[in-house]
Amino acid sequence: MMILSVRDLRVRAGERLILDGVTLDVRAGEVCAIMGPNGSGKSTLTGVLAGRPGLEVISGTATYLGRDLLAMPAEERARQGLFLAFQYPVEIPGVNNVYLLKASLNALRKHRGEPELDAFEFLNLVRAKIRQMQMDESLLNRGVNEGFSGGEKKRNEILQMSLLEPTLALLDETDSGLDIDALKVVADGVNALRSPDRAIVMVTHYQRLLDYVVPDQVHVLAGGRIVRSGGRELALELERRGYDWLREGTAAA
Amino acid sequence: MNAESVMERIAASHAGQAARMAGGAAWARRRELALARVLGSGLPDRRNENWKYLDHAKIAEREFDPAPRVTLTADRLAPCLLPLAAARRLVLVDGHFEPQLSDADAGTGVVVHDLATLFSTDPAGAMRLLREPGDDSDDRYALLADAFAAGGLVIRVDANAAPAGTLYLLHVSSASLPGTSHARVVIEVGAGARLRLVEHFVALGDAPAFSNLAAEMQIAAGATVEHVRLHQSGGQSAQLETWVIEQQADSSYSQHLFALGGRLLRSNLNLSLAGSRAQCRLAGLFMVDGERQADLYTQIEHHGAATRTIQNFRGIASERGRGAFNGRIIVHPAARGADASQSSRNLLLTPLAEINSRPQLEIHTDDVKCRHGATIGTLDPAQLFYLLARGLDPDTARSLLTFAFCEDVITGVPLPELRRGIEELVVGRLPDRDVIRSFR
Repeated sequence: MMILSVRDLRVRAGERLILDGVTLDVRAGEVCAIMGPNGSGKSTLTGVLAGRPGLEVISGTATYLGRDLLAMPAEERARQGLFLAFQYPVEIPGVNNVYLLKASLNALRKHRGEPELDAFEFLNLVRAKIRQMQMDESLLNRGVNEGFSGGEKKRNEILQMSLLEPTLALLDETDSGLDIDALKVVADGVNALRSPDRAIVMVTHYQRLLDYVVPDQVHVLAGGRIVRSGGRELALELERRGYDWLREGTAAA
Repeated sequence: MNAESVMERIAASHAGQAARMAGGAAWARRRELALARVLGSGLPDRRNENWKYLDHAKIAEREFDPAPRVTLTADRLAPCLLPLAAARRLVLVDGHFEPQLSDADAGTGVVVHDLATLFSTDPAGAMRLLREPGDDSDDRYALLADAFAAGGLVIRVDANAAPAGTLYLLHVSSASLPGTSHARVVIEVGAGARLRLVEHFVALGDAPAFSNLAAEMQIAAGATVEHVRLHQSGGQSAQLETWVIEQQADSSYSQHLFALGGRLLRSNLNLSLAGSRAQCRLAGLFMVDGERQADLYTQIEHHGAATRTIQNFRGIASERGRGAFNGRIIVHPAARGADASQSSRNLLLTPLAEINSRPQLEIHTDDVKCRHGATIGTLDPAQLFYLLARGLDPDTARSLLTFAFCEDVITGVPLPELRRGIEELVVGRLPDRDVIRSFR
C-alpha cells in the first residue's frame, strides 16, 4: 500500500527555490532514508510535508493515504497519523510537557473516534514509554523541551512518536548531535515503530543511524532533487565517497 | 465634552457634598484648597507625557456626583469573594468602609481605623495621617481624592508584628447607577513587621461608575510586605488609582498586580526606596480585550545605597483592547550600588489591539547595575507550528501559548489558592478555556 507519494514537488522559501521537482514514493512497511549534503533541501522536504509555515508550494503534489496532503492544515495532518520529529525541537516554557503529550494523544484518539484515555491509563502508558527512552521522569513535568539538553530534546521527540504511533513518521536529522548511547536508544525507538502498516522517512546527513535502523530505500537529495536512489549499499558508498561525486554527476547530466 | 465642563461638573459635585463632609473647619479648608488646585491646573490629559496613552474622554464622560449609598448584604458579596483561607476581610463599598461586612478583628498587631469616623473624632490626627498630594500631574487624581476626602481606611501594623493569614482588602464598586467615588487608604507597616495584603477590586453592577483611589504605604525598616492587587471589576467600570509607597532600610516589598477587568484602569505607582538595602519586586499583568483599556504607570526612585528593584511586567491585548506600560526607574546620586532590572514583554493578538511600552532608566550615579528590556510581539510561529504538528487545535494552541506567556507572573503569587484563582481568571479570558484547564 502506498503511504506517501510525492510528485515533482517544487517549493520555495521567500525568494529562494529549495525543492526543484522532488518525486518520492513511500510504501507501508518501508523505512526510507533521505540523505544529502547541507542545504540540499532535506528539512524543507519534511517541513512542507508536515505543514511548516513559510514554505510555498509552486507546483507538484503530495498524496498521503490517497488524500491531498498539501491541502490539509498542519493539525489535520498530525491527526491523520503523520508525525514530524523536529530537527530543532522548540522550547515552550509554561506549557507542561506531559500535558502536551496527553492533549496530543487525545486529539489523535478523538479524531479516530476512540475514547480519551483517563489520567491513570495515560500515566501508565507514558511511564512505560519514558523507561523505554531511558529518560528521566522529571522531564515530564518541565515546560516542553525547556532547558532540555540536545539529546533530551531528541529523545523527547521519539517519546512523542512512540506514544502517538504515527502511520508516517518523518525524522528530521534526529541523529544529529547524539552520542552513541543516545543514538542506540533513539534507534530502538524507531525500530519499535516499524510495522507492516507504517512507514518511516529518516532524513540524515550521516549514515551512522542507518547502522542501527536499516533502511529499505536510500534516496540522495541534492540541489532540490532526488539525484540517486538505491538500497542500503548506497548509504555506505556515500559514507566512503562523500557527496561531491553525485553533484558532479548531476552537473554532467 | 470639553475640559471646562468637566471642571464645572467637578466643582458642582463638590459644592453639593461639601456641607455633609466631616472634619470641621480645617478639613473644609483643606478640601477647598485641594479643589481650587485641581480646578486651577485641570486633570492630566494627552499632552502630558506620562498620561498620553490614556483615553481621557472615558473619564470625562463619567458622572462626577456620587451614586446614592447602597446597603449591601453579606449574601450579595459572597459570590465576589476570593477563596482565601484564614483571611481577615476589610470591605470598602464605593469608598466607604463597611464594618458590618468586615471582620472586627484584623489580626494580632493590626489596628484599623475607619477614616469617616476619624474625620469626626480626630480631625487633626487625620490631617497628620493623610499625605497632602503635590502639584505634579502624577498626583492630580490623588489631589482630587483629597478634595473629596470623606471615606477610607487607615491600617497600622505594629512593629515586629506578624499577623497570621492574609489581610483581604476588598474594594467594591456598587455600579448600580452612574457615579464617582473617592477613597483614601493609608497603611503603616512598623519596623520588622510582616504583612500579606490582598487588594481585590470588584464591581457589582454594569453602570459606568468611576472609582478614584489615593493610597499610601509606609514600610518601616526591616519590614516585609507582600501585596497582591487584583482588578477584576467588569462591565463599564473605570478605576483610577494613585499609590505612593516609601520603604525604609532593609525593607522588602513585593507586588503582584493583575489588571483583568473594567472598561478602563489607570494605575499610578510611585515607590521610593528611601533606606539602604531596601528592595522591591514588582510583577504585573494586564489583559485587555473588547474595548478595555489598562494603563500602568510606575515610577521607582532609588535613594538609598544598595537598593534593589526587580520589575517584570507582561501585557496581552486582543480585539480592540489597549494597554500601556510606562515604567520609570530613577537612580539618585546617593544610591550607590543600586541594582535595577526592568522587563516589559507584550503580546498583541489581533491587528486592532494596541500596546505601548516605555521602560525608562534615569541613572545619576556610576556605581549601579541596571538592565531593562521591552518587547511587543505576536505569538512565536515556531512554537505555534510545533503544537499544531502535534495535532492540537489552532485555537487551543494559541490559548496555550498565550497562557504560557504570562505564566511566570502568575506563578509568583504567594498563596496557592489565590494563584489558582488568578490562573482561572486568566484562563477564563482565553478561547478554548476548557482545553486549557485540562492542562493545569
